[in-house]
Amino acid sequence: MTRFGFGRYRALALAIGLFLLLQVGLFALDRNISAQLRADAVYERLASRQFAVHLQVIQDSTLLLHGGALTDKQREDRIRQLDRSATHFGRTLEVFSTGGTTVGKRDIEVHVEALAIPRAQEILRTAQTAWSPVAAAIAALKAAPGPAEAAEPARVILTAVPPLRKEMVEVATLMDDVASERAATLGMAKIGALSLAAVNFFAILFYLAVYLRRSDQELERARKETADILRTTQEGLFLLDQQNRTGTQYSRALERILGTTEFSGKDFFSLLQPMVSEKTLATTREYIELLFKHDVKEKLVADLNPLNCVQVFVGQGTGRPETRYLEFGFNRVKEAGRITHLLVTANDITQRILLERSLKETEARARDQVGMLVDILQIEPAALQQFLRTAREGVQTINGLLQAQETGATERGSKVHALFRQSHRMKGDAAALGLKNMAAAFERLEGTLTGMHENHSLTGEDFLPVTVQVKSIYEQLDAIESVFAQIGQARVSVSLEPHRVGHDPATAQQPFVQRWNDFAQEIAVRHGNTVELNYCGPDLAVLPDALQDAVNTIVNQFIRNAVVHGIEPAEDRKRLGKPATGRLTIHLAQREDGGVDLSFRDDGRGISVEHVRQVALEKGRLSAEEAATWDPRRIIGLIFEPSVSTRATADGDAGRGVGLDAVREVVARLGGSIRLGTTANEYCRFRVGLGAPAMGSAR
Amino acid sequence: MSKRLMIVDDSNIIRNKIARAMDTYGLEIVGMASNGKMAIEIFVETRPQIVTMDLTMPEMDGIGCIRAIHALDPAVRILVVSALADKATAIQALKEGAQGFLCKPFTDDDLTAATGELLDEEEYD
Repeated sequence: MTRFGFGRYRALALAIGLFLLLQVGLFALDRNISAQLRADAVYERLASRQFAVHLQVIQDSTLLLHGGALTDKQREDRIRQLDRSATHFGRTLEVFSTGGTTVGKRDIEVHVEALAIPRAQEILRTAQTAWSPVAAAIAALKAAPGPAEAAEPARVILTAVPPLRKEMVEVATLMDDVASERAATLGMAKIGALSLAAVNFFAILFYLAVYLRRSDQELERARKETADILRTTQEGLFLLDQQNRTGTQYSRALERILGTTEFSGKDFFSLLQPMVSEKTLATTREYIELLFKHDVKEKLVADLNPLNCVQVFVGQGTGRPETRYLEFGFNRVKEAGRITHLLVTANDITQRILLERSLKETEARARDQVGMLVDILQIEPAALQQFLRTAREGVQTINGLLQAQETGATERGSKVHALFRQSHRMKGDAAALGLKNMAAAFERLEGTLTGMHENHSLTGEDFLPVTVQVKSIYEQLDAIESVFAQIGQARVSVSLEPHRVGHDPATAQQPFVQRWNDFAQEIAVRHGNTVELNYCGPDLAVLPDALQDAVNTIVNQFIRNAVVHGIEPAEDRKRLGKPATGRLTIHLAQREDGGVDLSFRDDGRGISVEHVRQVALEKGRLSAEEAATWDPRRIIGLIFEPSVSTRATADGDAGRGVGLDAVREVVARLGGSIRLGTTANEYCRFRVGLGAPAMGSAR
Repeated sequence: MSKRLMIVDDSNIIRNKIARAMDTYGLEIVGMASNGKMAIEIFVETRPQIVTMDLTMPEMDGIGCIRAIHALDPAVRILVVSALADKATAIQALKEGAQGFLCKPFTDDDLTAATGELLDEEEYD
C-alpha cells in the first residue's frame, strides 16, 4: 500500500489555505463596507427627502402668507400639508442626531442610527435650534381662524426655514464625502486582496511548476536508471503475475537468452512450451503455484525448481537451431505481506555446463591416463614397442581402407569386414598386453562396424563415425607412446613378480609368455574356466620383427579362440575325466630357412564338425546342399572364414566370426600354411608354418 | 523451551543422522517413525512442532502422512527430506502442507540451515 506523503504537498496546502483565507477576509470586508454604504445611501435618501420637504414647507408657507385668493378649504389643506411636511422634517432632523425611526419616500418607515460624524452632529444641533420656532408657528397656524391670523406664523416659518437649506447641504455633502471615502476604502481593500490572491496564485503556480518539474526529473532519472539496468544486465529479468503473464518491463538480455523479442505480456507457459518437455512444463506450473499460493519457504524449495537447468534449442536467424542450457530462478515479490509477482531470472548457463562437462571429461581422461600408465608399467618395453608398431600399421591399413573409393554396397560391405578384421586383431593385441583402454577403444570401433555390417544400404557418409573413432585411437596410441617415452627411464626399476607357469621354467619367465598367460587368465576368468599356458621355444626377440608380430598376433587369436570356444568349464572337464584346469601348449621352432613352425594345442572340446556345419548353414554361408555334401575337412576349414563363429553371442573376447580369419590373413601375407587337427572332446591343435619375411618388408 | 521434533524416515541410518544433528541444534526429539502410520500415532501422542518427513515409505507414504498431520495441526512445520528422484512428487508434498524441502544426501550443516530457515518463519509469523 502506498502511504500518502503529506509532507510533499504541505507547501501546496498552505498556499491554498492562504488563498482561501484572503477570499474570506475580502468577503467579510466587502460585506461590512457594503452594509455601511447601504446605511449611507439611506441617509442620503433621507437627506434628499429633507430638501424636498424643506421646499414644500417654504412653498406652503409662502402660499399661506400671500395667498389671499385661497378658499378656506384650500387654506386648511395647505396647513395640514405644511404640518405633515414640518413634522417629517423635524422628525428626520431628530433621528439624524439621536437615531430612531422616521418615514422615508413613499411613506415607508426607515430606521437609522444617529450620524456618527461629530461635524454633522454640530450642524444638526444648529439646524435644530433654527427649526425650533417652526413647531410653535405651525401650531399657531393650525389655530388661526382666518388668513389674517395665519400671516404671522407663516412669516415666522418663512424666516426660520430657508436658512436650514445651508445645514442640509452641509450634512449631505459630509455624508457624501464619508460614503466616497468608504467606497474608496472598499476599492483599495479589494485591489489589495485581489493582488494578494494573484500573488498567491502565481506562487502556487510557480510552486507547482517547480515541484512537477522536479518530480518529473526524479521520475525520469528513476526511469532511466531502471532502463539502464535492464538494458545492461547480462541476466534475463522479468516479472510474472498471478495469471502467469510476463510483465512489460524486462531486461534486454532476455531477448538474447530466449531468442525471442515477442515477450511482454505473454503467457509464460506458452513461451516455455516449445523449449521443455510436457512433464517439465507441468512440474513448472505446479512449482509456480506452490510459490504463489502455498505457505512454503522460498529458500527451502529452490532445489525443486524444475527449470534450474533446461536444455533448449534456440533458432538463430537462418542458421541451425542451437543447443543451449538455461537456468530460471524464481523469487517472490511481496507488497504489504502479500505475494503479487514472481521475479524471474533467466541465465544462459551453456558455458558453465560445457565447462563442467569438459572438466568431467578431463578428469576421466586423467583417470584413463593413470590407468594407462599403470597398464604400461606392467608391460615389458619390447612388447609395448612391438604393439605400438603393429597398431600403427594396423591403423594405417584402416586409414587406407577408409580412403579407398568403392562403387557399390557390396564393396562397402567387404570394406566393413576388412576394417572389422583389422580392429579385431588390434583389440586382441591390446587386450593381450593388458592395455584395457586401448582394447575398449577397438571394442567400440567393432561395435560401430557391427552396426554398419547389418546395414545393407551403406553410403560413404556412414563411414564418418569410423573415421572419428580411428582418429581417437590414433591419439591414444600417441598418448601411450608419449607416456612410454617419458617413463622409459623410470620403468627400469619396475619389476613384476613372474608367474610360475609352464614346464619350461626358463621360457615361462619370458615377458611375452607372461603376457600370453596373463591374457589367457584374463579371458578364462571372464568365461568361468581355468587354464594354464605352457610355452616351449626360443625367445621371440631372436626373430625378425615381422615374424615376432605375426607369431604374437596368431598366438593371441589362438589363445582367445581356445579359452572362449575350446576349454570347458571345470565341472564339464571333471565329468569327462580331464584335469579341471585346461591346458594350452605352444611350441615354437625356428626353421633353417629363417621361418618358424608354431604349434598351438588346447585340450578342450575340440571342434565339432556338426556344429560348424550348423552355424555355416544358419549364417547362410552354406546352402543345404553344400552342407550335406561337403566333407568334414572342408567344413572345419570354414572356421577360418569371415562370419562363421562357433559361439552364440558376440563379446569382447570372441564370437564375432573374426579371429581365425585374422590368423589366416597374417599367414597368407607371409606365405605360410595352417593345419588343424582336432578330436571331439579331446583336443584342438593348430600348426602354422611361417616363411622368412622378405627383406625390407614391414612384416 | 526447546521445540519438539519428530523424525520420520524408513532408514535407520538417516533417522539417527537427523537425530544427532538436531539434538546438537537444540531440538527435543520426541519421536521417530519408520512409516507414515507410525508417524501419525506418535504425532497424536507427542504433538511435535516440527517434523522431518521422508516421502517414500511403507505403510503410508510421506504425502499421505503430511496431509494427515497438517489436518491435525495446521501450525506444524514440516521439512520434507527426500532424494530428488521426482520433483513433481516433492512439490505435491509441499502443497499438502510442508514448508520446506531438503535433498538427500545432505550434510549436518544443510540440515541445521534448513531447520533454521523453517524456525525463523515460525518466529516471525
